Amino acid sequence: MSQTLEPAPEATRLRDSLPRRRPPRRSAARSRTRLAYWLIAPAVTFMVLVHLLPTIGGIVLSFKRLNTFTFARLFDAPWAGLENYRSILFDSSNPLHDGFFGAVQNTAVYTFWTVGLTLVGGLAVALLLNRPMKGIRIVRTLMLTPWIVPSFVVAILWQFMWQSDVGIVNKVLVDYTGILNDRPIWLLGHNTIWAIIIPSVWRGLPFAMLIFLAGLQAMPQELHEAAAIDGAGPFKRFRYITLPLLRPLIAVQLLFGVIYSTYQFSIPYVMFGNNPGPDADLMMTLIVRQSFSNNLFGFGAAASTLLILIMGIWVFVWYRIFKRDLEVT
Amino acid sequence: MRNRLAVVASAIVFVLAPAAIVACGGDDNKGSSSTPSGNQAAKEPQLEKGTTLTLWTMPNSPKPKEDLDKMIAPFTAKTGVKVDVQEVGWDVQFDRIRNAAVSGEGPDITQAGTTQVPFFAALGGFNDLNDRVEDIGGEKAYAPGIWNTTKVEGQDGVWAIPWFTEARSVYYRKDVLEKAGVDPATAFKDLDSFKATLQAIKDKVPGIQPFGAPGKKAFDLVHNVMPFVWDNGGAELSEDAKKSTINTPEAQTGVQFMGDLIKAGLYDKSQLERDGTQVENQFKGGKLAVWIGGPWVLGSISRTDDENWVDDARNNVGVAPMPTGPGGKAYTFVGGSDLMMFKSTKHPNEAWALMKFLSEDQTQKDYANLLGMFPARLEPQQQVGDSDDNHKAFFEAIQNGRTYAPIPQWGQIENAYKTRFGNILDSAAGVGKAYSAESVKSQLDAAAKEADGLLAQSAG
Repeated sequence: MSQTLEPAPEATRLRDSLPRRRPPRRSAARSRTRLAYWLIAPAVTFMVLVHLLPTIGGIVLSFKRLNTFTFARLFDAPWAGLENYRSILFDSSNPLHDGFFGAVQNTAVYTFWTVGLTLVGGLAVALLLNRPMKGIRIVRTLMLTPWIVPSFVVAILWQFMWQSDVGIVNKVLVDYTGILNDRPIWLLGHNTIWAIIIPSVWRGLPFAMLIFLAGLQAMPQELHEAAAIDGAGPFKRFRYITLPLLRPLIAVQLLFGVIYSTYQFSIPYVMFGNNPGPDADLMMTLIVRQSFSNNLFGFGAAASTLLILIMGIWVFVWYRIFKRDLEVT
Repeated sequence: MRNRLAVVASAIVFVLAPAAIVACGGDDNKGSSSTPSGNQAAKEPQLEKGTTLTLWTMPNSPKPKEDLDKMIAPFTAKTGVKVDVQEVGWDVQFDRIRNAAVSGEGPDITQAGTTQVPFFAALGGFNDLNDRVEDIGGEKAYAPGIWNTTKVEGQDGVWAIPWFTEARSVYYRKDVLEKAGVDPATAFKDLDSFKATLQAIKDKVPGIQPFGAPGKKAFDLVHNVMPFVWDNGGAELSEDAKKSTINTPEAQTGVQFMGDLIKAGLYDKSQLERDGTQVENQFKGGKLAVWIGGPWVLGSISRTDDENWVDDARNNVGVAPMPTGPGGKAYTFVGGSDLMMFKSTKHPNEAWALMKFLSEDQTQKDYANLLGMFPARLEPQQQVGDSDDNHKAFFEAIQNGRTYAPIPQWGQIENAYKTRFGNILDSAAGVGKAYSAESVKSQLDAAAKEADGLLAQSAG
């Protein structure tokens, strides 16, 4: 009996060799972790250097009195405490902070319409293109082209298209089709906000469409077929099958869309310069103008910090609303 | 733990190494010699051959770097001092010069817009040239309005030397005036005849807009409006530059003069959507009969490669001085560019030698000709002015030229004014708030309030 328990000579050799091998295995695991640290170290270092430290620096600056005479001292500038925040939020008569609430309002309007139209339009086009028909590939490719145009170029193109006397928009609306009798002025006054919303939607829509189209094509057809057999019409099928299944995609695009639109800068800047006027001044153009043209870096830093907080609240709200969908995906 | 530290430390080294290399590269550009010869008391200090100066210039001419390199070649041949000309775009020059002045990392010399000089000087990163300017004839060699741009209000120093100059004058189409039956000699004599001329064009010459000027998109909107304010006895700031006076009745009359032109249909409101260059091209393209512009457009008439010109416009350009206001003076904005020497330069004598060279009469004339600008110095200015009638109008404009109070906050105040002037012109065009004397006044009040807030900024 006991003999049978004796391991075979080869096994002994194997067992002898095991203890020698095991520690290397453990250290292999450790060195794998170490390798992982090494691999993420550059990214972490970069993130700390170019992201975290400047953010902290910016928040510190928001407590400083930085103006034409003090900004060169930067972190040595006089301490202002909460003065910058107080005057932004509660002192509307402060002439240096003129336009803050206007910019907040414009940004909200811009974001609402840009994100709303992009998502609704993207979904509509995706539904249209999600069916077999001749030349569908070409149509889909063409639909994607606005997305590959850099927003800088989008702004320049639309700036010419909007010009009231020679721009193509008014030519179509007034000269070719006669929809309007008077030539509207797009780049001045109340229309300016639409002059930046429409190009933003034009550029953002293809991407939304692409995401929705991918979602629609991955959708199991059986559900639609079963519902159709049960007598559900196209609208009901859309409302109770398509839309709920697209919820995760809508959620993600809503998150990024709102953040991206709130931080929009290039389109209004290229179209109107650093002062788009009271009707289209967004948070970012205001912050950039006050900081870099007017040297009010304390104001700019405080406004930026408030913007980060607002975005933080948005992400929190978004998470509460779509938590369930994220778990499903 | 030690291992982690090692990881972080080596990662930092990894990240910072390229920066260190770049920094070394930057030093090389400034040349290898390191002995500043600023203490040599001799009037003509020995220049160090082989030194390389760095000069920042803005896109003044079609090929900014090549043109300036050519201009400077004789200087290098004579002195052995090389010059590395670097082009900095107008859109970024303000930020880059400011950053260079604050950080002490920059070129030896930079070009700067005349209205920017007081702000840059206040940063403390530039050399006071007061002891050197006698070399180039000092104050008396320049028109007073131009010399004023080298100073800071309330200080003794000379922080820049004028390089080239521009002033605004009235451009008109001779053929259009003829069709309208207006005598060019008196067409733009005063504000009333200016308006009457535009009315005559509107009534008698179809197919062309009487007048156009850019709105808030133009960086120089304030330069276009202020002459009318000055004409009516208004001013941008009080005498002591402590308070805004842009909401006085005189200033309001001046601003409203422009708004009223829009209201009367004499000023093409669609031009308000364009920036300065785009409106300039509208005049060149024959869409506008009258326009206010600088001398560089005169220089472009003979350039066949400037395809913005249509023949009718190109062959019929006339220039008249700005109209005379009720006060009897014909004010215009005089601007241009100055040269400033960074405090961080290791070669102040060589840098000054270059600035002196760029101030020689012949260099001034050649370079200004190339740019379609005017020389900054009186003597060559006079010579360019004598060349023909159109240039003469500009020469006179420069002598009547006015610029803003040289205070560090001016740039910010100009931004505030620009916003409000833009709003006023927009409302006159029928967009935005309704246009009335009250709405103009409330915009100007807001502008004055903002300007006063900016003036109240302090170092404390």
